[in-house]
Amino acid sequence: MLTINSLVKRRGSQQILSGISFEARPGRVTGFLGPNGAGKSSTLRILLGLDRATSGSALIQGKPYAELHHPLATVGAALDGSGAHPMRTGRAHLRWIARAAGLPRSRVEEVLELTGLSDAAGKRVRNYSLGMGKRLGMAAALLGDPDILILDEPVNGLDPEGIRWIRTFLRKRAESGHTVLLSSHLMGELAETVDDVVIIKQGTIVAAGTLQEVIGRHSSLEEAFFALTMEKAGDGV
Amino acid sequence: MRISSGRRITPILGAELDKFRTLPLIRLTLTVTFILNIALTAAFTSVSLQETTGTQNTLNTGLASMGYLQAGFIILGILATCSEYTGGQIRTTLTAMPWRGVQISAKMLALAMITIPAAFIMAASGVLYAFIMLGDTALMTEIGTVIQTLAGATGYLTLTALLSAAVGAILRRTTPAVVVLLGYYFIVSPLTRDWLPGYLPDKAGYYMYTPPSVDAGNILTPMEGTGVAMLWTLSLMAAAILLYRRRDA
Repeated sequence: MLTINSLVKRRGSQQILSGISFEARPGRVTGFLGPNGAGKSSTLRILLGLDRATSGSALIQGKPYAELHHPLATVGAALDGSGAHPMRTGRAHLRWIARAAGLPRSRVEEVLELTGLSDAAGKRVRNYSLGMGKRLGMAAALLGDPDILILDEPVNGLDPEGIRWIRTFLRKRAESGHTVLLSSHLMGELAETVDDVVIIKQGTIVAAGTLQEVIGRHSSLEEAFFALTMEKAGDGV
Repeated sequence: MRISSGRRITPILGAELDKFRTLPLIRLTLTVTFILNIALTAAFTSVSLQETTGTQNTLNTGLASMGYLQAGFIILGILATCSEYTGGQIRTTLTAMPWRGVQISAKMLALAMITIPAAFIMAASGVLYAFIMLGDTALMTEIGTVIQTLAGATGYLTLTALLSAAVGAILRRTTPAVVVLLGYYFIVSPLTRDWLPGYLPDKAGYYMYTPPSVDAGNILTPMEGTGVAMLWTLSLMAAAILLYRRRDA
């Protein structure tokens, strides 16, 4: 369970998040959608304890990230990019993470296998393609077999096969009772994957609910998204 | 925070050591530093052999390259902390180990665990080279003084690496950290030699590996030099940890 409550983030004079609230529940895939620069990544970074909120809270099972006892067994996160030093091999990257989390080395081979990186594991990360970097990020997120997955733009840069794999994987994850929160600015790729939708625009939530509720009278999630975000943009005109 | 820091530190220290071990730049820096130090010591030794007047001190000749040797340890320190900010690794580090104070302290400890043996081997190899080459012409130095001086040199290089790691953690980017630190050690410090004689980190540190002598007019004893250099390092480390805990990653 992820709980975002009246979250505000200011950077200098810039208001990035103006008091957003939403939840991501177990057993469901929650899509956190919005155009680039809407505040999706900032929200996820605060949730993961990377950035500090100006006010409000972002809690994981009721606790701030830094207070989790076994963070990697609770939350697996893949943000933009691989999150690995380009000079290190994929395997060495996963091994130090496993060491930090007290996980066995065999687990590293398991997640390499799972993400299809076994053959590339000995290569330096700087030689990875965008898709392979993404897979490495996923492998790191899955190391601790976490209850919750938080993924920033998970399908961005993946080939059709990779996108299909992610979709199936996330559905299975949610069906077995896990919580999945994923952010995206792509609507089409997500409509079939998500149960709940939260739409953010310029640091404010403009819609939240089940997929059907958010689509409402519109013909598709994409239509609903544009209608909702345009309405908001048109407010001042 | 019900889990004690003690139980946490072992895996975190292991992870930080793993990071150093698997980053090729760290190994490269240590190897190049070792080779250049021997080459410089060879040059200083041959100059020393050509000088017919004056006493030739094995220790002075063997450690004549310290001014340059420290550059390798400055780079090592910078790499230790700034490499976190390449490829977005800092996000991985902080999600795996969100206890920031403990994590960065473990990194500093891991750095010291690598630096202490590396610094000792490099300083000792220079002195050993000078001892072999200068042979009989060398003024015999007492073994006690040799050990004390090598310990001082090791301590100085370790403190320099830690201080550089702290500055790297504050600046977070390799290039500015290199410019600031090499600029200080190789331009600012030599230019300000006559002012603030013993109170800047490198000037105080110089006395850590310079045995007290009556005629040279040392401003600080090795112990005082160690104290001042340590104070600089600990202050910058404290500032780095404080900032690291408060800043957005």
